[in-house]
Amino acid sequence: MVEPIEATKGRTKALPKARPLVASTYLVRNARKTTPLVAVIVLAVLLVAGIVSIMNSIPLSIRTIYSYSKIMLGVTPRGDADMTPRIQARILADSPVPIDRLIVCRASGAQVRSIVGKWPFVVIALEQEDMRYYLRRMEATRIEGRTPGPGKAEALISAPVAKNLGLGIGDELIGPEKNEAYSPQSVKIVGIADSRHWLMLAPIEYHKVHHFPPIDLLVVFARNAADQERLDTWATKAFRGERAQVFAWSELEKTTNEMFSTLYKILNVVIALLVLVITLMMGMLMNIYQSQRLQEYGLLQALGYTKKRLLRRSLAESVIVVLGGWVVGLLAAHLLLRLVKLILMDPSAFSLDTLDPVAFLYTVPIPIAILGAAFLTVWIRFRDFDPVGVVERRLI
Amino acid sequence: MITAVGASLHYEDHGREVHACEAIDVEVRDGEFLGILGPSGSGKSSLLYLLSGLKQPTAGDIRYRGRVMASMSDDERARLRLERFGFIFQHPFLLGYLTAVENVVLARPNEDRVAEAEDLLERLGLGSKTHRLPHELSGGERQRVCVARALLGSPEVIFADEPTAALDHANGVQVVELLDRHRGRGSLVMVTHDPTMLEGADRIVTLADGHLIDSCG
Repeated sequence: MVEPIEATKGRTKALPKARPLVASTYLVRNARKTTPLVAVIVLAVLLVAGIVSIMNSIPLSIRTIYSYSKIMLGVTPRGDADMTPRIQARILADSPVPIDRLIVCRASGAQVRSIVGKWPFVVIALEQEDMRYYLRRMEATRIEGRTPGPGKAEALISAPVAKNLGLGIGDELIGPEKNEAYSPQSVKIVGIADSRHWLMLAPIEYHKVHHFPPIDLLVVFARNAADQERLDTWATKAFRGERAQVFAWSELEKTTNEMFSTLYKILNVVIALLVLVITLMMGMLMNIYQSQRLQEYGLLQALGYTKKRLLRRSLAESVIVVLGGWVVGLLAAHLLLRLVKLILMDPSAFSLDTLDPVAFLYTVPIPIAILGAAFLTVWIRFRDFDPVGVVERRLI
Repeated sequence: MITAVGASLHYEDHGREVHACEAIDVEVRDGEFLGILGPSGSGKSSLLYLLSGLKQPTAGDIRYRGRVMASMSDDERARLRLERFGFIFQHPFLLGYLTAVENVVLARPNEDRVAEAEDLLERLGLGSKTHRLPHELSGGERQRVCVARALLGSPEVIFADEPTAALDHANGVQVVELLDRHRGRGSLVMVTHDPTMLEGADRIVTLADGHLIDSCG
């Protein structure tokens, strides 16, 4: 009695030693063929993650440079310098949260450098006691040098500003020769505060005498971050349409997002086109790669390997190549960005997130699209494949 | 065991109707060495593909132990080839990135047959070359690896399609002898145009222009 074919199914057992058809075997032993495929994916991921990270460094720079705005609210009279007492009284009377300190100060303009050019920055002129408070709230742990003396043409900056402008103690921060950071006298740096926040401080007495117009700036501190946020929201609404201009973190965020929304739309189109081009290119490469293996597929099918089994193996190889390339690409992007940060950004205190999750998220369509192309290529290859053509050497 | 009943294979080749096999009746018996002889283009390889389930007849039936192969699914036929049949083709097809022993175990991927594969290679005179890659072997050695692959797992039938065509006569004779000697109780169906290769055959059928014209033995 002859047993049916199906009866042998249960007799088989796993192959512990030689696993010649494990996907990784082919990939490792044919590194010269698989490396270019991986390399294309790595480069694609590197390109996309790199572009997005650099792009994101611009709004990140805005948020970093003006981070002091998160800790305080700024309000300045608009069109009428005599509005200060009324604004001050309103804040103190109507604020929804307890005010820790309200400082009436003066301000003048300066500039800082960014990867897209120079941006405006404010020199805040304070009284001595207010300056100490301000530095404490800006988390300044240590001062190299000293704070500016009352009425003197002196300034204090924080370490990131010093790095960004390449200035040190004794250098001029604002002065008569500087068109965008003008002051009638040469205001020299006498102290550098160790703080992550960007700041430029000067004595109010000097500013009152030498800077025009004589408009006050009200700097308002709540007791904690949550209160500060409520205060900002309240001030933004309360002074809307009034003769006062509000400088709040939320407004900065809003303006930044508006500024970059169009740019990000363009970026999305560029990335989509890039992914399409890479996918088409990879589709062609995969096609060549599969064509080179017709003999292998034909032989195995002739020996009795099912199409499903070969398809699974081929797809497993594709998954390893594509996901491997993607992971290596992410690592390479991170390392390259670290290098860029170290060599180009850090010396000027430019911001760059080398682990930007948004940038890495932008690379996700790359493996998905390439895997789609690989699946399609393999499926087309296997659909009407005739192994006899191979063993008769008609197809090779 | 395998029976062809009025089996025909017709196909189109560049718009021309080819009658590769025409109403062939033949049987492969258990344990026998069946030679299929004929000149080039006589349809002997096509008959081998029909008998082994690699091709389906356009008319007639191929039966494996009474069951019509055409009624089996593609996967069933594939499993039949993998688990019950062994194959040797005209050209020594080996996967270039696998060693000799790994190429042999390809024939039984679901089972642990490494020791058996090494033993077969040893018996075929390739004991020292089990871990060589195909490009490190001569043509004769490659075909012997194919012989080992066909013998692995003691298949019920070994189908050999002109296995000596790419070899010189001495190597060809050696390959046929090895196949015949080591096939155990399995059947051997060998296609050739060289009658000297079928000296050990139990039966020989002769084809011409797709027709079976002679059967002896």
